[in-house]
Amino acid sequence: MWYSFAWFDLYLVRLPWHCLQTFCWVLPQRGTTALKVKQLEQKDRPQLLQPSCEDITTQQVVLISTMAEGGDMEWELSKENIQPLRRGRAISVLHEALSLQQDGLSSAINQQRQAFESELRMYDGDDPLDVWDRYIKWTEQTFPQGGKESNLATLLERAVTRFTEEKKYHDDPRYVELWIKFAENCPEPLDIFRYMQAQGIGVTQASLYIAWSEEYENQGNCRKADLVYQEGFKKCAEPHDKLLHFHKALQARVSRQVMMNVEEEDSDDEPKQPERVSLAELKHRGKKKAIAPINRTGSAIRSISGGMQSHSAPVLGNASNSRLVVFDENKTQSAGPSEPKLEAWAAPPTSRAKENERNPEKWCGVKVPQKSKFGHTVMAPPPPKPTFQPFVEESDQPPTMTPCKINPAVNTVLSARKPHREETPLKRLQEHHQQQKEAESGKLQEQSTYCKELLLSGATEFCFEELRAERYFKKVTPEVRGQKDQACASTSN
Amino acid sequence: MSLFGTTSGFGAGGTGVFGNATTDSHNPMKDVEVTSPPDDSISCLAFSPPTMPGNFLIGGSWANDVRCWEVQDNGQTVPKAQQMHTGPVLDACWSDDGSKVFTASCDKTAKMWDLNSNQALQIAQHDGPIKSIHWIKAPNYSCIMTGSWDKTLKFWDTRSPNPMMSLQMPERCYCADVVYPMAVVATAERGLIVYQLENQPSEFRRIDSPLKHQHRCVAIFKDKQNKPTGFALGSIEGRVAIHYINPPNPAKDNFTFKCHRSNGTNTTTPQDIYAVNAISFHPVHGTLSTVGSDGRFSFWDKDARTKLKTSEQLDQPITACCFNHNGNIFAYASSYDWSKVGGKVLAPPPKKKRF
Repeated sequence: MWYSFAWFDLYLVRLPWHCLQTFCWVLPQRGTTALKVKQLEQKDRPQLLQPSCEDITTQQVVLISTMAEGGDMEWELSKENIQPLRRGRAISVLHEALSLQQDGLSSAINQQRQAFESELRMYDGDDPLDVWDRYIKWTEQTFPQGGKESNLATLLERAVTRFTEEKKYHDDPRYVELWIKFAENCPEPLDIFRYMQAQGIGVTQASLYIAWSEEYENQGNCRKADLVYQEGFKKCAEPHDKLLHFHKALQARVSRQVMMNVEEEDSDDEPKQPERVSLAELKHRGKKKAIAPINRTGSAIRSISGGMQSHSAPVLGNASNSRLVVFDENKTQSAGPSEPKLEAWAAPPTSRAKENERNPEKWCGVKVPQKSKFGHTVMAPPPPKPTFQPFVEESDQPPTMTPCKINPAVNTVLSARKPHREETPLKRLQEHHQQQKEAESGKLQEQSTYCKELLLSGATEFCFEELRAERYFKKVTPEVRGQKDQACASTSN
Repeated sequence: MSLFGTTSGFGAGGTGVFGNATTDSHNPMKDVEVTSPPDDSISCLAFSPPTMPGNFLIGGSWANDVRCWEVQDNGQTVPKAQQMHTGPVLDACWSDDGSKVFTASCDKTAKMWDLNSNQALQIAQHDGPIKSIHWIKAPNYSCIMTGSWDKTLKFWDTRSPNPMMSLQMPERCYCADVVYPMAVVATAERGLIVYQLENQPSEFRRIDSPLKHQHRCVAIFKDKQNKPTGFALGSIEGRVAIHYINPPNPAKDNFTFKCHRSNGTNTTTPQDIYAVNAISFHPVHGTLSTVGSDGRFSFWDKDARTKLKTSEQLDQPITACCFNHNGNIFAYASSYDWSKVGGKVLAPPPKKKRF
């Protein structure tokens, strides 16, 4: 075996000769010693002499790779852009997906997607969730970066809203998984989880509680995270062992965190260089003795270190001077652990905060506010009341209404100007209520005569011909197969 | 095969229903019915160009065939020939000299049918069903333009198996029209692209859709100097948009109008909205006709912005329509269009009407 030597600054890489076809050049920055060399192929592990690593600061790695058989380079080059999946990704699918990314959507992907879309519409079995589930899994694997091309967000939203009413899926682990993925895509996952609990979706599935508590933990609220697990145990979520395991892991993390905090406080005993103590009382200068009142609450008092503790008493004494009552969340701890409250939800929370998208909507009924004869703008009716009680500051006074004559001929109460359409499920539900109201008031209603469900069901739309072509192909393929079988049978005789 | 020698034979469809005294929702307008109609819904109709003497009508259907009839001056139709595909035929067109017919099908191929020899050759191949096919006759080239559900628009010289040019579209082609030097393609997700065909086909402009629902049909209209200047676009929700390419005053010149809706003034029942299945322009007067899933056809004057006439309601949706080259004959096809779920397919006769 003849080895070639490549010298780079201070280190040595011995590469097998036949390995040179897949090179990996590592160019170190000046003054640093480069360390990392990519493993090329598994069977040709290069021998690596590593120097000492003390002064490794940053390194700039420029990889020039020819097209290796395994395509290992591709994965390394774009791993920042790959969305992680809980179950991991099949590496072969990942390679394929990444190599195809440069060409845009290849026709194979197009065809596969089209096949899924038509399956969504043509399916007439007992388990429509299965089609959605496979479609979404395929989309995740094929589009590692996620993003708009994959339509993943739309698909998830459609899938979850489609089956919200179907009780039989509420405890189906696949459905609960879909909700969890949907929640992760939303700006406020906690809202989604609370909604799920209120609707009874997945309340007996361990995965819901695990994901929920992870979200709390990410936000730093370990107490709530623990409470979620308690809730899960109470509801006898399955599988029980999994829930127990994750709960134990959470407790271990939390206790580790507490231990580390305690250690940090102990380590403060080391004499430090004199430095200005934060959160301490300000020393006054000059003759005036006025001292700015300092109000410290809760944990802040604890953190004042060393000899300044003696000032804490007068500091607290200033509390009565200030008008501002600082909220102390630690005080409320004594209220006792409270269950996550079941709020009444009228509709699932919004999937995105984007407010400036408009749905295709009817032309008629949309009115531009006109100035009435008397020069006052006609008041549009107030938007439908939100389902929660908005917070009202005490100091807020209702604006005084200057009396003005409203032209009785211009009565906008019934022929309501439709509220600005935002792309949210909440709005859609409210619009549905409004349409019902309008029906009672006698406004002209419109009804499309085509099957909207079938056309708009998946992530993209279909036209009538596509639907019909799908039905035709579905009918034809078994017939063709039947004819082929017959032909084979007759020839074999 | 010069006669329809299929197993169904002659006279399988409707016979002429002249002089029927009772009101007949099947043919309320008392138009001449074409003999030997296809066995399944008709997807497209096209009349022969003026370069050929006489009037020949071709119609493609979901029964995988495309049929040709000769329409005589007295209104009688004579079936002439038929060709088959291996999948439903979605679109058909004539060459400019009237000797060939091009057909596009769900079997992802397009065929060139030479009427003199009655032979059909495959001239195009796509990765998905081909939804539209048009013949382009430019001073320096002539070719076939095919738009498919594989999101590509391909141009074929009929002699070569490879396309002369392939343009990528953002979405699947739903309908298209060509009047040299302009071509319009309407795609899924309300996409609208205009191409210019001079010298070489290239994308001219992408237009924001004037309609809020799925595009269903498009037809180009010409100005007084016989140059293409705009198009009419129909959607699945009873509305047609008239759009000029370079109008002096876009806000005023472009407009949309509602059509193919039931219950004009009745407010107690909801108004039914139907899809506009096809649009075609009268070659001489410039008036347009629309046919819809409600089973009616209507004529409109886009310059005066008025409706000229609406037919009685047929019992089935009208799926296709076209004018002959001098505007004397208007043909429309009444057949089930699968816009509603369920129902059965009845033998659909294409009818023609004289002005």
